[in-house]
Amino acid sequence: MSEEGLSRYVFPPSLVSRADISRLARELENLENEVEAQRVRGAEKAGYHLPAFSTPFAEFLDQNKLDVTDAQTRMHLTRDLRALKDKTPIIHLTFATDANPVILQQLTEWIREQIHPQALLSIGLQPGLVGGVYVRTPNKVHDFSFKAMLEEKHSVMLKELDGLNGR
Amino acid sequence: MTTWWLIFILGTLTAVFFGFIWIVVTLSRLGGGGKVGGKRSTEDLNKSYSDIVEEDATHLFNKEFREELRNRGRLRFEKIIDENAMFLKQDLDMTIAQLNEYMKKQISSKLEQEFAAYSKAMGEAQELAIDSLKKTATDVEQQRNAMVDAMQKEVTARETAMIDVYQENMAKIIEHYLQSSLGETIDLNSQLPYIIARMEENKKDMVEDMRL
Repeated sequence: MSEEGLSRYVFPPSLVSRADISRLARELENLENEVEAQRVRGAEKAGYHLPAFSTPFAEFLDQNKLDVTDAQTRMHLTRDLRALKDKTPIIHLTFATDANPVILQQLTEWIREQIHPQALLSIGLQPGLVGGVYVRTPNKVHDFSFKAMLEEKHSVMLKELDGLNGR
Repeated sequence: MTTWWLIFILGTLTAVFFGFIWIVVTLSRLGGGGKVGGKRSTEDLNKSYSDIVEEDATHLFNKEFREELRNRGRLRFEKIIDENAMFLKQDLDMTIAQLNEYMKKQISSKLEQEFAAYSKAMGEAQELAIDSLKKTATDVEQQRNAMVDAMQKEVTARETAMIDVYQENMAKIIEHYLQSSLGETIDLNSQLPYIIARMEENKKDMVEDMRL
């Protein structure tokens, strides 16, 4: 399938990282096995008893208007999720402290609105950053950490300190 | 009592002496009357006088009288010895007293000399000790001043070095300070506006990089 076909998928805010895509694919695979088992037992399509979906999977199906009771849809989705897992661009974000899911969802929403609609995040932790965030896109690095800010202001601090010492 | 005895003896001897003189004078007068046959009678007379004197002497200095004289002489001798012993004792006591006084004076003089020498030596030793202490105090003061100067220089050098290091590592120090003091207190909620603002500033670069 072409990348234009993959771009039609809308990622919900709860779908943050590549691991979430893998979790969707695994959940879809479990669903496929369950439906196949029910089909073998002679159940009709309308009478499939579907298991409870996780929130990201349910939101993904809802926002993309997918009917997983349809075998063709499940087959295409399985294929597309594998492709999305490998081809979706990833932005690495490194924080000084642990980022809670709420913050990550807010950042994900902003990034998908402003940067890329299908961007996934890879979260790292580096206390030496003090604060802010260290952003790494596929080819560039953007250091928005307090550490970088302090290093930028190093000359200013030296100048101020020299002024205090009367040099 | 002894004096009376002595007077008595002397009186007796004097009476005997004058009696003897009287007898001699009388016999001389009697002998002057016959010159021829006189030589023989004179010799007889002398002989008879000698016998008489001898007999009187024997009669006068008999055994009892000699014993009496011996006792008196012994007593006298003992008295003289006692007196001499007393005089000797007095002289000896006086000599001992003088000797003690002399010894006291000599010992006092010697002790005074020794004490004077001792005091002088003590004074000299005290002066030496005071001089030594003054010198030591001066040395200690000099060393203290030198140490103060050295420590002052060292402190100044260290202060300068620390300031230099502090200035050179200001970013790291502040980073460490902020990390230790604020790292756990500033959560991402408060940082989120800053993060989004910085990403907004660099949104163009990030979008172009994601399109590639």
